[in-house]
Amino acid sequence: MSLSKYPFWEVVKHAFSSEVWDTLWPAVWDTLYMVALSALITLVLGVLLGIGLSIISKEGVRPIPVLNETAGTIVNCLRSLPQMIMIIITLPLARMLLGQSYGVNACIIALAASCIPMYARLVQGAFVEIPKGKIEAAKAMGSSSATIVFRVMLPEAIPSIIRGFTVALIGIISMTALAGSFGAGGIGDIAVRFGFNRFYHDMLIASVLVLIIMVEIAQVFGDLISGLILRKRHLV
Amino acid sequence: MSAYIRIKDLHKSFHNKGEVNHVLSGIDLEINKGEIYGVVGFSGAGKSTLVRCINRLEEPDSGKVWIGDTEITALNKKQLTLRRQKIGMIFQQFNLFDSMTVSQNIAYSLKLVGTSKKQITAKVDKLLELVGLSDKKNAYPGSLSGGQKQRVGIARALANDPDVLLSDEATSALDPVSTLSILDLLEHINDELGVTIIMITHELEAAKRICKKIAVLENGVITEKGNTRDIFLDPKSNTGKIFLEVYKEFSQENTFTGGGGI
Repeated sequence: MSLSKYPFWEVVKHAFSSEVWDTLWPAVWDTLYMVALSALITLVLGVLLGIGLSIISKEGVRPIPVLNETAGTIVNCLRSLPQMIMIIITLPLARMLLGQSYGVNACIIALAASCIPMYARLVQGAFVEIPKGKIEAAKAMGSSSATIVFRVMLPEAIPSIIRGFTVALIGIISMTALAGSFGAGGIGDIAVRFGFNRFYHDMLIASVLVLIIMVEIAQVFGDLISGLILRKRHLV
Repeated sequence: MSAYIRIKDLHKSFHNKGEVNHVLSGIDLEINKGEIYGVVGFSGAGKSTLVRCINRLEEPDSGKVWIGDTEITALNKKQLTLRRQKIGMIFQQFNLFDSMTVSQNIAYSLKLVGTSKKQITAKVDKLLELVGLSDKKNAYPGSLSGGQKQRVGIARALANDPDVLLSDEATSALDPVSTLSILDLLEHINDELGVTIIMITHELEAAKRICKKIAVLENGVITEKGNTRDIFLDPKSNTGKIFLEVYKEFSQENTFTGGGGI
């Protein structure tokens, strides 16, 4: 249903019809799959990279200036690529690794390459926020660098790391939609193929609705979990 | 008897944008075992840097520091980490770990040295009793008052039975009543455990209350040191005179008995 032929409310009403959702549901599952897998990869590798970056940084527990400069430059290069460009340049890589450059799995490489560096910086930020005195206290008690990182810094930074993950997760959702127009499938694909190319505005409205709900759930859950931890620690 | 902590010709400077700031210029200090030794001075005199050079949170440029027979300044990184487990430290901002409960904070350094679970529980209970916080065992630091936080800080610092306790402005962020009770606690543990305490403070009242000896630090140089009473009666240095002046004025005007006077 196009807005140019039907009145607005008719189109909105039709956005909730089974006709629309029969097409949309599989795409929703594709999107959820892509988001879940990319989020998991981003979480694990992003936290590890973030920890690594903060350990070797100038103010870290084990500064390694050369490695810090190199890693920092690479991360910045990856972060400066617009997500669309990242998708295009990882297509050959996907073909090499997975045998095809389209489909749900192919886009996960682009998603990870774009979101890991972003999340790593957020994790690094969470570490920098820890008051220096706490790390000094741990040092003064005779802690090794590894103990300081894993028993003091990581637990202290957890609420910020979770909040950062919410931001990253929402970034992943929006990038998934973008990847849809490059053959990844999912909601973005529906929105482009039907909503944009064929003026199925009911489809477009339904797609937007799904995306809004996904982002909202991510945000609410992220806030809830970090809030619970902060309240347990009596910090709010 | 020879001193337990010996500091010899200690120098430390910070470099900032080509400017060199000499924070410590040749510090000599001897502190006997079991003493509570005060280092007083104004802000920026180098007090904190001095105490931080003792456990090498700050690396001195030159000079030597001994604790007992160990030359701290000659230890390698690994040896230093081990030695630090026997040097307690408390801070102005408490620096407790917000992610851990009170008992977990105290247990932290015990776990570092691989104490068994059973021993940890017993030790933590004993320390909580010592600092009077047995009822706060499972509380998080975020729910405690400043004075209570510092008590946890003291318990944490004492967990591994240190021979030396470094106190870096430990009462400076506290109200007069809490200050007084923390000072009494420090005196009590010095009495009970025989731990040598080096107390950095800009509150003369605090130093006067529990330190038998003090050193006055001024622009990175110790301008006078000796028995607290002597310095109080007849200060020779500039800082000492000003301190006493201000102290007298405050004690005339104020009737409170707290330690936050200066």
